[in-house]
Amino acid sequence: MSTRRLLHLLVLLLLATALGAACKSQGAPAKLVEVRRSQLLMGTVVEIIARGPDRPRLETAVDGAFAELARIEKLMEPHGLDSDVGRLFKAGIFLEVSPDTAAVIAQGLKVATASGGVFDMGLGRLKELWDIEGEHPQPPSAAAIAQALAGTGLGDLQLNGRVVQKRDPGLVVDLGGIAKGYGIDRAIGVLAAAGVEHASINAGGDIRLLGNRGNRPWRIGIQHPRHPGEILATIDLADTAVVTSGDYERFYERDGVRYHHLFDPRTGQPGRLCQSVTVVAPEAVLADALATAVFILGPQAGLELLARFRGVEGLIVAADGTSVTTPGLADQVKWR
Amino acid sequence: MALTSLWRRTRPFDRVVVLLLFILCAVLFVVLRPGPPGRRVVVEAAGRVVFTAPLDQDRSFIVTGPLGETRLAIRHGSVCIEASPCPHRVCLGMGAITRSGEILACVPNGVLVRITGTASTGDRTEPYDLLSR
Repeated sequence: MSTRRLLHLLVLLLLATALGAACKSQGAPAKLVEVRRSQLLMGTVVEIIARGPDRPRLETAVDGAFAELARIEKLMEPHGLDSDVGRLFKAGIFLEVSPDTAAVIAQGLKVATASGGVFDMGLGRLKELWDIEGEHPQPPSAAAIAQALAGTGLGDLQLNGRVVQKRDPGLVVDLGGIAKGYGIDRAIGVLAAAGVEHASINAGGDIRLLGNRGNRPWRIGIQHPRHPGEILATIDLADTAVVTSGDYERFYERDGVRYHHLFDPRTGQPGRLCQSVTVVAPEAVLADALATAVFILGPQAGLELLARFRGVEGLIVAADGTSVTTPGLADQVKWR
Repeated sequence: MALTSLWRRTRPFDRVVVLLLFILCAVLFVVLRPGPPGRRVVVEAAGRVVFTAPLDQDRSFIVTGPLGETRLAIRHGSVCIEASPCPHRVCLGMGAITRSGEILACVPNGVLVRITGTASTGDRTEPYDLLSR
């Protein structure tokens, strides 16, 4: 073969390779793009990540998810004039609420019953009394606590269809421990209905996942309850919800005692048996309620409670810093 | 030397082909190369973007929310909240953020600060995608 022919062959080979690479780039499976947006909603930062091949579709879906969260927030904000929770505050005994609020209360009542009443949606007065996030919080007196607990306990709220019944007209309903979970469940439903296959919603640490991350599971870091900025463990998850409740997010200390926002309705005091509880459940509304209940019950009774719910797992950091998990999570947790 | 000898033996058509090849390579480089990182600070108040700036240009900025003025500072490739009218100053304690995807927030004053840019995931060093806390 002559040198010229060899040169031609070489050039043609290079051209074919270059064209082949360009064609491959065009014909390859669509690359996933990521839309990541945040808004202040439900008293926290809500971040939505949606991944897929079609950016305009993702953007529209995320718009819809945020709109749904804003709608749920409006329904359940504690002091909203038109919110269901605000109307429940003013209502006497009975009040018909929206289907969404009824769904939240129904789920809360399930956990309230299963937990023997340690999850209680009627602790609004107690939370206002403690005012953990106020400018100058002080531990209230025993008498004030007793007064704030009047009318609370199992059966303080009942639901018949969409009609909520308060045992005591003065009962102050607080859905703060559960509404955020319901909101992100609804928002993830909006994303799924729009055809999004890979997404996450993180509302101040309450997380709901849709599918996996695209090429692997979502890697969830669990905050270390005593070392800010550090993580305790990671768990690889997909298509589920993860919620952590801990005594380190909203608290103050007096005389070496930590006062935080997770109250034991039996005593009116902050729960003392755990530092943090992480619950993995099919829905965030359930995980939200269970994380609060388990935090109050403590590791032993908490594990027993989690075992009563199908598809639910948990990681509990006890007050002494030791950690336990449900059997189903033991092999999935990677400790740091 | 071998290349010079080879080049001398080429005809005009050969050279056109080689030129076309170079042009094709240049076009492919421009079309297929990844975009620049371009990280920016985006500030939202009451759900609306009120300010955006490159992360590599030092400056300060004041955002007005329902409680008053929140002062932000961009310094040496990071952004932090320097002053805030909120009761607990939790946002001040959040420190500075430097990486795309990180967020600062003053919830009481309705101010949200985040870093965006195409390097959003490539430069993350955290061993997780999302933090449950």
